[in-house]
Amino acid sequence: MNDSPLQCVHQNRSVAFTLIAGFAFFADAAVAKSVDFDRDIRPILSDNCFQCHGPDQEQREADMRLDRKASAFTSADGNARIVPGKPDESELFRRITGAVPEVQMPPPDSGRSLTTRQIELIGEWITQGAEWKEHWSFVPPVRPDVPKVGDKTWSRNAVDAFVLSRLKREGLRPSAEADRPTMIRRVTLDLTGLPPTPEDVDAFLADESEKAWERVIDRLLKSSAYGERMAVRWLDLARYADTSGYQNDGARDMWRWRDWVINAYNDNMPFDQFTIRQLAGDMLQIVPEPGRIGHGSLDLDAVTLNHWIASGFNRNHRGNSEGGVDPEEYQVEYVVDRVDTTATVWLGLSIGCARCHDHKYDPISQTEFYQLFACFNNIPENGRALKQGNSPPYIKAPTRSQRKRLKKLNREIAALRQQWNQSQPALNEAQSVWEASLLPDESTHWSLSDGLRVHLKLDGDLENAVADATPRESETTASSVAEATPAPTFIDGRVGKAVQLNGENFVTVGDVGAFDYMDGVTYSAWVRAESDGTILARKKPEKDGQGYSIGVQDGHVHVNLINRWLDDCIRLSTVGSLPFSQWHHVAVTYDGTRQAAGVTVYIDGQAQAVNVHFDFINQTFASMEPLRIGSGITDLQGAVDDVRIFARSLPAKDVGIIATSESLEELANLPQSDRTVFQQDLLQSCFLETAAPEPLRKLHARLSVMEQQKVELVETVPTVMVMYEGEPRATRRLNRGRFDQPAEEVAVGIPEILMSDATSGASDRLEVARWLVSPNHPLTARVAVNRYWQMFFGEGLVSSMEDFGSQGSRPSHPQLLDWLATEFMRVDWNVKYMHKTIAMSSAYRQSSMASEFLLQRDSDNELLARGPRFRLAAEVVRDQALAASGLLHDKVGGPSVKIYQPDGLWSEIASDTVYETATGKDLYRRSLYTYWKRTVGPPSMMTFDASTREMCTVRRARTNTPLQALALMNDVTYVEASRALAQRMIQEGGSTVDDRFARGFRLVLGRQPNYEESRIAQAAVARYAKEFENNPEAAQQLISIGESAVKNDTNAEELATWTAVASVILNLDETVTRR
Amino acid sequence: MDCSCQRDFEFGRNSHATLTTVSAPRAVCAKAFRGCPVKVSSSDMHPVSEYVTAANRRSVLRSGVIGCGAAALSSLMHCDAATAESSSRAEFPQFTPKAKRVIHLCQSGAPSQLDLFDWKPGLRNRRGMELPKSVIQGQRFTGMTKDQASFPVAPTTFEFRQHGNSGAWMSELLPYTARVADELCFVKTLHTDAINHDPAITFIQTGSSLAGRPCMGSWLSYGLGSMNEDLPAFVAMTSGRSGQPLYDRLWGSGFLPTEYSAVKFRRTGDPVLYLSNPPGISADLRRKMLNDLSRLNEIQLQQQGDPEIAARMTQYEMAARMQASVPDLVDISDEPQHILDLYGPDCRTPGTYASNCLLARRLAERGVRFVQLYHRGWDHHAKLPSTIPDLCAQTDQPTSALIQDLCARGMLDDTLVIWGGEFGRTVYCQGTLTETDFGRDHHPRCFTIWMAGGGVNRGTTYGETDDFSYNIARDGVEVHDLNATVMRLLGIDHTKLTYQYQGRHHRLTDVHGNVVEQLTG
Repeated sequence: MNDSPLQCVHQNRSVAFTLIAGFAFFADAAVAKSVDFDRDIRPILSDNCFQCHGPDQEQREADMRLDRKASAFTSADGNARIVPGKPDESELFRRITGAVPEVQMPPPDSGRSLTTRQIELIGEWITQGAEWKEHWSFVPPVRPDVPKVGDKTWSRNAVDAFVLSRLKREGLRPSAEADRPTMIRRVTLDLTGLPPTPEDVDAFLADESEKAWERVIDRLLKSSAYGERMAVRWLDLARYADTSGYQNDGARDMWRWRDWVINAYNDNMPFDQFTIRQLAGDMLQIVPEPGRIGHGSLDLDAVTLNHWIASGFNRNHRGNSEGGVDPEEYQVEYVVDRVDTTATVWLGLSIGCARCHDHKYDPISQTEFYQLFACFNNIPENGRALKQGNSPPYIKAPTRSQRKRLKKLNREIAALRQQWNQSQPALNEAQSVWEASLLPDESTHWSLSDGLRVHLKLDGDLENAVADATPRESETTASSVAEATPAPTFIDGRVGKAVQLNGENFVTVGDVGAFDYMDGVTYSAWVRAESDGTILARKKPEKDGQGYSIGVQDGHVHVNLINRWLDDCIRLSTVGSLPFSQWHHVAVTYDGTRQAAGVTVYIDGQAQAVNVHFDFINQTFASMEPLRIGSGITDLQGAVDDVRIFARSLPAKDVGIIATSESLEELANLPQSDRTVFQQDLLQSCFLETAAPEPLRKLHARLSVMEQQKVELVETVPTVMVMYEGEPRATRRLNRGRFDQPAEEVAVGIPEILMSDATSGASDRLEVARWLVSPNHPLTARVAVNRYWQMFFGEGLVSSMEDFGSQGSRPSHPQLLDWLATEFMRVDWNVKYMHKTIAMSSAYRQSSMASEFLLQRDSDNELLARGPRFRLAAEVVRDQALAASGLLHDKVGGPSVKIYQPDGLWSEIASDTVYETATGKDLYRRSLYTYWKRTVGPPSMMTFDASTREMCTVRRARTNTPLQALALMNDVTYVEASRALAQRMIQEGGSTVDDRFARGFRLVLGRQPNYEESRIAQAAVARYAKEFENNPEAAQQLISIGESAVKNDTNAEELATWTAVASVILNLDETVTRR
Repeated sequence: MDCSCQRDFEFGRNSHATLTTVSAPRAVCAKAFRGCPVKVSSSDMHPVSEYVTAANRRSVLRSGVIGCGAAALSSLMHCDAATAESSSRAEFPQFTPKAKRVIHLCQSGAPSQLDLFDWKPGLRNRRGMELPKSVIQGQRFTGMTKDQASFPVAPTTFEFRQHGNSGAWMSELLPYTARVADELCFVKTLHTDAINHDPAITFIQTGSSLAGRPCMGSWLSYGLGSMNEDLPAFVAMTSGRSGQPLYDRLWGSGFLPTEYSAVKFRRTGDPVLYLSNPPGISADLRRKMLNDLSRLNEIQLQQQGDPEIAARMTQYEMAARMQASVPDLVDISDEPQHILDLYGPDCRTPGTYASNCLLARRLAERGVRFVQLYHRGWDHHAKLPSTIPDLCAQTDQPTSALIQDLCARGMLDDTLVIWGGEFGRTVYCQGTLTETDFGRDHHPRCFTIWMAGGGVNRGTTYGETDDFSYNIARDGVEVHDLNATVMRLLGIDHTKLTYQYQGRHHRLTDVHGNVVEQLTG
């Protein structure tokens, strides 16, 4: 603006005056009341000007920002841009009026233009003094006075006072209270997601006290179904799902976090705690490093454990496990997702725009984006996620009952251990006696057999000495067909004979030793190598082909676990070498953790230091090739003896035992002081298993059993991904948001616009979490209560629930919003209190019936002159049908369940994904327990606008489509529910058509049918009955749908008839609508 | 009409006589498929009073669409822009569209441009030689090959020949497509940001590699609405038994209301989810139940005056119509033998690419605006020479048949057909290069797609890659450019079809995209 030629201004002054004069005339008529900058002006500037004159530094033209008062009023060199009271002297106004055509704003080529009305408003604002106000949502809410409304009979609480005062202003009156069945159905669906039972309705109808409504609300707030209903909404925000969301979309386990949410709602956890724990629960106490298998959390106290589970909130984002991804790229995406989600959920701001550049509309700079990024950036995670299961960091998260059992086992084991330690002298004595009894001229070989799957003694033949080892699931069961061509030579070996290979022949053992990347396994053999070569392998013959191999290369022991060479494999080698021409025992254990650290190489029982060459196995290394001895990568020259494969990862002590080749008698004859630890271990293990006195043996066995029980219990303990502050990682601003374009380093911080006097900033994630719920925070409470409002009224007071920024909508009832927000903080973030406050209001109790007048006057019901009505959420549609029909299994929590869905839905678009439908009661769990696969959502839920959970979803659409009709008519879920409902109508309803129909209506809708409805039912029943009488087979078919059993004494035609009637009820508009 | 079908295709020749008698597409009317109150015409239905319908317009706008950007809705319901809040108010199409509908043949997994279209004869002499650093130019590799010790050049093992008057080079693997060469408009220089399948296919479908954005079909359904009242505006179908997985988001509506998602036609069971009545409910009984349902809803409608009730009643009638129209659509018994022959033997097997191509034509004929086919299996990291012929065999003939069939029916001129994958493949070998075997890794920098019909510049090739098909030598086309061009062909300025979500006006092309004028005829 400064550069505009003055001359030009003069020339055009007259034009400007004309416009201004015209405007002033108009203003008298239309813009009489005062213009509010935040309400009337900022949205115009935001929409049309901020793009070039807003927060984004890079796009900013003429060094002018219209989102900041100083810059808007005065240019850097002191020229006035806005002169309060004088539009004609205000450069800004002159430009938008076209007084200076050369510099008309917005520029004609920008595609934006102001309407006459908008120009007038800006002019009037300047005329009225150009009072500047900050964007409403960035100013902390101040508790407004509750308006005094005369109507004491209607206004029950502050909510009503605000609603009523607005209605009065608009010249409207509230609607009458809804009838009682409608009211109780409404509140029961809203608070629990389930319909009221006829008994609930009756009790409410019978309760004539003033407290009747409150009693209903209190009862609902206490039911566990309340937490379940609230959780569903939170799961959408938290993008919770049961799969990882990219490509193959493998399974993950976050249900312990989901159950934490349910419990938090049911325990009425204050929202500030709810916030802090989910964002930084791991930082509230000192927690151990989770490690790869997360065992560190097993012994935590319940409080610490729960805080840590809560932090899973920000691990619910998707994880990319696709082969070939750049881990750094996706690590950045995960952190961005955390920032976006956190900002959307708590701030109601879409600050994601600031990832690439300063926000165009809201005063959030790109640097500020990365300041928040920094607090989520220290998680020790790999951008390349695991394809199956949770990706680190995760913890074992025992349930309450598992914790109890674990504690009990620990106690018992400790007691047994003590007993065991005390019996050592007796043990030693008895063992000495036994050792003395071993005859020196015999040679008995004993070793471990637990988990032994393959034992090739190679004493002159190639037989597997393990005859009937029960294979585990992942093993194939074919018996060993061993052969070698040309026939191998047997020589004296380490134990009996050994096979001698010459580099041209090898042993093909057959289809044994098949293990996969999530199995524990141990391979061992005695080897006297004369050259490099493979000791044993099951792999494709080409170099680096899929499979596993153990061998000698450049004199070192090499281990390969390969799915795809280079990016999906583990390769490591011993630092030390395996000397040629000598017998050595080589053992490799792998614990199934999919990492090199889970592999240990032993030479002669000693664990070896290793060099890790590749360390990422994400898919199977199983191979169809047979087990081979002496071949795999290169053929071995040398002797091999006593090959053993165990279906478990042996502990070091056990490896020592299998690396001991002497017979019992040899060992017994060694003086104890001359024995190695391994030899001593072997003798004692053998003694305990085979010869110890009964009490000792029993004690030992008991201890083993208990320890095994503990191992098994721990194995069943679910894991959950969590946050964890690892090594601090430098956060850099990323140019254009690109992971490979780091710029300057940025420290943790909070956006300046949201700083209040009460906060000085934040230096880590915990402080950021605490800042969100600090007093005077302008957004958190408003955003939260707005979501609560939407639960009850269908729309938020701020209808753009996901955007409280300058592009968002303004609150319909700003004072009510601020009262609710301040009230929420005043009652220490008491969630149930807030829900009750809203539900108790007269506003909420209004009838939702809309007169033609109201439909015309306020079609969106923004003014709240009537009750809210809207279609039920996907989950509620299904849960209602299950509850009304009596099929619902109301177990709270636990792993997700796979409900009915049409066959082949998964496998059609992704190979290797088979949907195994649940059985029994699991089919009838509440919908929030439904297994949620992000790339192929549960179909009938998706049809009813459920979220894919790929990203944070604040608000679901409520569409109305023929696909919904098809689902309600034909999905087995609803056909079966119709049949179960029909059964109840017949059994509980009585004998007449009217009574049965009424029972169905009451079960689903909570009300009695009216005369006309009953008459339609009468006719329908007659028609349907005739249909099924003529076609009994059809009746049988219809009632056989679904897993649940039909009672034996059922009359098929009658049940089918009523099933059809029940289906009609479940398809009613009223059924899927809450009104 | 400028349809080239007057020229004989070897495979289409026999069909001409009969094809000319095929009736025009049925039920072409400007009614949105879902979410919109179409006046109930069934004699069984109770009349819906006028005021309800009027109120319903507002209600639909409120519940489904924020603002009135949806021309489908606005044209149908005479939407008054003043009642809507969105700034997206332009009428679509904004100018005369060249294409009325799109059939998108997505080749999932990324077909190798080097072995199909992008003929690089010079590579023969460089076989096994290291790809020069000056060609790689520091571009990133996938994690699968970044640690590879060498990057040997792997020339194609297939023969190339020129076809048609346009002289387009195509490999011997595509003999059928070669016959329609003069219908095709090749883009040799499409390039993308993403280097892995999931992000790349998501990017090419939605304009963003992250989940959450609407796909092109959803944008077009939202902007243009439906052209029929019995079928969805947007249909997706899949084929291929193995290969990269697909995801609902590829045909999903993202932040647009769910009603703009594709209806996925399935290859097993009901073609549309929950389409069939359950065993024991005959069509007759269903009709009776629908009538009773309607009577009961009508009572509430009278009492409550809620337009949503009327809307739901309408949806039930539409559902009933779909129960009739979809089985009719997928029943190909009315197709004459020469048509079945044209598409090849697979077209009788539901769930094959050939069958889907035939269905695509039937859908297009019935006024479905956007049909998207996905064929899986093009991800040839290894054993490319022995496996890519299978994929070509599965897709070549039906693809060509579809072009010919549309052409013969006079539909090619206003049907845009797009063929392509999510990125290209590397000239260097992934894994070990042998005499007969090699693999190719992902290559986002350049790849070939083609378009046909719908106003594209047929018989042309746009863009040129370098001698290695590794870099763009001339006229690069971004995915956003392609999408902008497709929208232009449909009569839409891609910068104008927007939807406000999270404080931003979003569009398919984000803040990018330039129409490539040379691609349009």
